[in-house]
Amino acid sequence: MTRNGIILLVEDNPDDVDLTLRAFEKSKIVNEIIVVNDGREALDYLFATGAHAGRSLARVPEVVLLDLKLPKVDGLEVLRRMRADERTRRLPVVVLTSSNEEQDLIKSYNLGANSFVRKPVAFGEFVGAAQQLGLYWLVINEPAPGSGTD
Amino acid sequence: MSRNVLIVDDSLTVRMDLAEAFEAAEFATVLCGTAAEARAAMAAGSVDVVVLDILLPDGDGIDLLNEIRATPAVSNAAVLMLSSEAQVGDRIRGLRTGADEYVGKPYDAGYVVARAQQLLKLRRVSAAAATKVLVIDDSATYREALRAALREKGYGVLAASTGEEGLRLAASERPAAILVDGVLPGIDGATVIRRIRLDAALRDIPCLLLTAAQDRDSELRALDAGADTFVRKEERLDAVLARLAAVLRRSSMRVPGEETASLLGPKKILAVDDSSTYLDVLADALREEGYDVIPARDGEQAIELLAVQTVDCILLDLVMPGMSGQETCARIKAAPGVRDIPLIMLTALEDRAAMIEGLGAGADDYISKSSEFEVLKARVRAQIRRKQFEDENRRIREELLRAEIDATAARATRELADARAVLVDELERANRELEAFSYSVSHDLRAPLRAIDGFSQALLEDCADKLDAGGRRHLERVCAAARRMGELIDDLLQLSRIGRADMHRDRVNLSEIARAVVADLRQHDPEREVEVDIEDNLIADADGRLVRVALENLIGNAWKFTGKANRPRVQFARESTLEGPTYVVRDNGAGFDMTYGDKLFRPFQRLHSPSEFPGTGIGLATVQRIVNRHGGRVWAEGEPGRGAAIYFTVPGLRSGGVS
Repeated sequence: MTRNGIILLVEDNPDDVDLTLRAFEKSKIVNEIIVVNDGREALDYLFATGAHAGRSLARVPEVVLLDLKLPKVDGLEVLRRMRADERTRRLPVVVLTSSNEEQDLIKSYNLGANSFVRKPVAFGEFVGAAQQLGLYWLVINEPAPGSGTD
Repeated sequence: MSRNVLIVDDSLTVRMDLAEAFEAAEFATVLCGTAAEARAAMAAGSVDVVVLDILLPDGDGIDLLNEIRATPAVSNAAVLMLSSEAQVGDRIRGLRTGADEYVGKPYDAGYVVARAQQLLKLRRVSAAAATKVLVIDDSATYREALRAALREKGYGVLAASTGEEGLRLAASERPAAILVDGVLPGIDGATVIRRIRLDAALRDIPCLLLTAAQDRDSELRALDAGADTFVRKEERLDAVLARLAAVLRRSSMRVPGEETASLLGPKKILAVDDSSTYLDVLADALREEGYDVIPARDGEQAIELLAVQTVDCILLDLVMPGMSGQETCARIKAAPGVRDIPLIMLTALEDRAAMIEGLGAGADDYISKSSEFEVLKARVRAQIRRKQFEDENRRIREELLRAEIDATAARATRELADARAVLVDELERANRELEAFSYSVSHDLRAPLRAIDGFSQALLEDCADKLDAGGRRHLERVCAAARRMGELIDDLLQLSRIGRADMHRDRVNLSEIARAVVADLRQHDPEREVEVDIEDNLIADADGRLVRVALENLIGNAWKFTGKANRPRVQFARESTLEGPTYVVRDNGAGFDMTYGDKLFRPFQRLHSPSEFPGTGIGLATVQRIVNRHGGRVWAEGEPGRGAAIYFTVPGLRSGGVS
């Protein structure tokens, strides 16, 4: 079974989108990165509804990078609905956010986040973090059967 | 409810006479001619009242009284001593042993029955209110033993292990009596009793001091403080209970209002005259009126008797050998407990000057000895009535005052609770606002900084060919400023979190935490060679997470400021200072000028330039906040170029090394 290596990036801030893409590029991660700009769109993409209706559900991303502060549906709600659905229950989710407030950490892990990463201010550090994330989730980690496949 | 009266007298006439009077008042009577018969009767059934002759064919009535008071099953019976002995000494002995009443022969059967009924009524009043007893003792074993024994006797028990806790319980529960250990961990037994006596609402509660065998000193201090009696702790518990019963019995006699309950109730008159002939005639005349008369032959006897016996009226001869009438009168009127008893001076008609002197000494009235007894009886009645009205008025006034005090106290408590609730509400709201604020700071303020740094980097990399050296330097400064602001925000958030974090104090090994911090520093900074000396097993009662943050800052500072030192050394140890056990983080680094020592702990205060040593100036402010939250103190010593030492204390139950 081949791995598709798709990354779903859920991020509303265009600066952060560009910087994240740049960080992955800098760390030589050339995987396909699908960007959605709010929680509603993230769910639409994952479940092929709304704007993404008709998309083949066979293509499941290998990892979701999820911001918490999002318009419409916030990150924690996206996580909750993902974990409640059989199709996305085992999909790795990395919370990628600005704060490391304890309450966010606790809530994220309680809802079944696989990892929690705070976006560093210094871009150099951000590149380092992106590199390690890519290496871990796309190479080292073995996904659950059925996820991350075409 | 049928009440039993045990009548112990060797005279059959007395037994029959009293039995008739008691039976008319619906008492069940048991008649005994000797002490032995009385013992058998008491062993056989319950007894509410004992009428006891002082001279018995086979023993002394007072010995029997002692036995009654020491036998738990009957110790609470009302005992009326009956005796033809006119000796004041016997009367005092009887009352001291625990007799409730002492009636002289010839007696008035009506008076004896009325007095017995009154005493029983007092018992019931006090029994209803007297159920709660407060035990203050730091020994859990003794406390529990006493609690079990008291419970068995039907008392309600409140228990406290310290004097402070006991006082709080006393104030809220108003126990009927307090048993307090002399030696307690905080304030001692004597202090507890003194505070009880100083409290207007509690001062009437009888207090028993529990003492160790040889503890004379604490007994004396407790007596000074106002203890009612002592109990030795090694005595059997039933002896403690008997003593408690006796104290409660006595305190029930002081129930206000009961004393003045009825103008027609039994009254007792103390008659003092050196002429026994006159005393006899006077006593007979008064007994016809239903009064019980206590004869005394001189002033000394009268005063001694008043110390143990309450009377309703005093008749005092003006001219007596030994202590004179005026002198006796002046002494009685100077004594707090008895000065309110109406005192009528008996004088010879011609002795007007002396009579005026007697009134001057405080007598309430005077009467000529040669007057008809009818006049005398009328005067006595009038005086007793006046006293009764005064008592009644005072009681009403006190009740009103008490009600007012209670109402005020209740109002104050309510207002305090309301004010508290408002404050708590406000505090919670302010806290929620602060949470929301720091949450949004941590989220929203960092995002633009990331963009500033990230895109500046992008510019440096993507447009390197279009930038000259000056342009690159500018951009690097933009990046550095953005990163620095990121650090400031992080440190500020940490400082604010430390003020809000919940504290969980526990046994914490500071040495282990310090070693973990040093291990982190070495990992981050593998090239640095710093000699680190951490004392083993420094244990404190502290919040582990907060202590870790404090040590990260302190050891991190020491690490940083020894960066330019020749042979860098960092030490963490415990030392003794004036503040007690004190922890210190010491280094041989850059040090500081003591002139600015107190500035060190203010947020954003830095004594070094960022180019020399980087930092935000929040670290020591954070340490101070953590130490303060533990109730400790932090201070610094240093010298430029010679190193710095930051001292802090962690007061707690267990700050000390492992033995």
